[in-house]
Amino acid sequence: MTYPAAGPAASTGGALLNVDKVSFAYPGGTQVLDNMSIAVPPGSITGVVGPSGCGKSTLLALLAGLLQPGSGRIAWSRDDAQPARHPLTMMFQKDTLLPWLTVEDNIGLHFRVSNSRLGKSEQKARIAELVHLAGLDGAERKFPYQLSGGMRRRTAFLASVAPHPRTLLLDEPFSALDEPTRIGIHQDIFNIVKREGITVLLITHDLGEAISLSDQVMVLTSQPATVFKRFDIPFGAERNFLGMREHPGFLELYGQVWEQLAVQIQRSRSRPVARTP
Amino acid sequence: MNVRSSPMHAESGGPARPSRWSRIKARSPIWLTQLGLLIGFLLAWQYLPQIPALKAMGHLFDPYFVSSPQRIARELYNLATGNENSPVIWGYVWSTVYASLLGTAIGMVLGAAFGLVLSNFQFLSEVMRPFIIGMNAVPRIALVPIIVIVFGPTATSCVIISVLVVFFVAFFNAYEGGTSVRQELVQNARLLGADQWHILKNIRLPFVMAWTLASLPLSVTFAVITVVTAEILTGVPGMGSLLGTAAVTGNAALTFAVVITLAVVGIAITLAADAIRARVLHWWGQ
Repeated sequence: MTYPAAGPAASTGGALLNVDKVSFAYPGGTQVLDNMSIAVPPGSITGVVGPSGCGKSTLLALLAGLLQPGSGRIAWSRDDAQPARHPLTMMFQKDTLLPWLTVEDNIGLHFRVSNSRLGKSEQKARIAELVHLAGLDGAERKFPYQLSGGMRRRTAFLASVAPHPRTLLLDEPFSALDEPTRIGIHQDIFNIVKREGITVLLITHDLGEAISLSDQVMVLTSQPATVFKRFDIPFGAERNFLGMREHPGFLELYGQVWEQLAVQIQRSRSRPVARTP
Repeated sequence: MNVRSSPMHAESGGPARPSRWSRIKARSPIWLTQLGLLIGFLLAWQYLPQIPALKAMGHLFDPYFVSSPQRIARELYNLATGNENSPVIWGYVWSTVYASLLGTAIGMVLGAAFGLVLSNFQFLSEVMRPFIIGMNAVPRIALVPIIVIVFGPTATSCVIISVLVVFFVAFFNAYEGGTSVRQELVQNARLLGADQWHILKNIRLPFVMAWTLASLPLSVTFAVITVVTAEILTGVPGMGSLLGTAAVTGNAALTFAVVITLAVVGIAITLAADAIRARVLHWWGQ
């Protein structure tokens, strides 16, 4: 695997990431992505929603460099202002905590497995800072089996933020959590991501999650997926996640996006969907 | 503003455990019944063969064959102290325990190493599979004569045979551990900057070691059985050779005394192995 951001710098028209007419088919012929184009501005959060099985996870695998596009280009701008930033991390839908490491050691996994430029004390300070930001104070020395589902997700999130990545991919990261826990986490990760200036691509099937967290939301078509509609989310960089969902602006936007998503869900139901692995 | 739901942060302990005393009280009827059964069994063993009618029925009630708790207790006392020109058992116990522990240690390290390498390299794993399955199908005791020819009837032979047995137990567990590492864990580590070596060292190795260690109680039990068997077959001094002597001299009391000692040693080793496993693998969850 090659680091996506290590590739040649390309013209991205001001975007950090430019997905340019990308198509992808699995061997055996299932066309998953068709001519998909997405521009992701630096420091923004882009929510991607679509019918179940439309190819959202395939898109992330392509961005992470785990798969190569059949045609089209995935271009990353080389951000010379911050050359030292870690290019990309990903928070997986399934648990990736290592059960024999404590919360703080899991958060610091990056420091363990790579030749970090940070000294030991700087690493410690970085971990302590993140622990505090995500409200995990007091849980530093706990092991994953001692944590609730919400705390595990917070820990996994911090592990992918610890390297100070330029880009963070979130693959349905909170789908297993109950709603109050999820909204609490939304607040914290939104604050952390904005504070660190991380560009985020969020794949989710929770439309409320996509709208409340994102700066723009892409509604994908059913498979083969391409971008059906793009919505700007004008809620800014200061958000109150508890109050937000009753806000008329939120509800109106939710209705608009849902209308488009419903069209695609309807289409995907009218024919069999090829499952992606 | 920070919003946090309370259940996530109020995590500690779990439900209160019942007090030690109430647990003892709840268990005591079971313990008393067990004790009663044991005493009844020992009394029957001691006194039933003294009834002439039963004794005439055959070997089962003849103290020459089945000995008696009293004789066995006396034999155990003599073995422990060297009374009445009896051999002293401690040296024999130590030989057997030492060979078992050494065999377990070597077997587990080798098994873990092979499991790690084979689970990491798909090609090697495919190539080796039939050989390993074939080797595993061979009853290891059948190899005793060859090993004795090569290494002589020595303690080394006993260790090697127990290594052969433990190796496969540890290897299969280690391999399972190495292949059970989920793809996301590897991909996650890779995106965090890990190269092949770091993934092997930081992700796969801990899994392999944990799974290998999980087989410790089973491995050490197998090792004791193997060493005793090898001692019976080779006459190398140990608990097995004492059993051999008892058989040749028709000494039922000695046989039972050795068997009881072996049982006690076996339980002690298994408990220790369980404790080590529970301590090292505490993070495995409850």
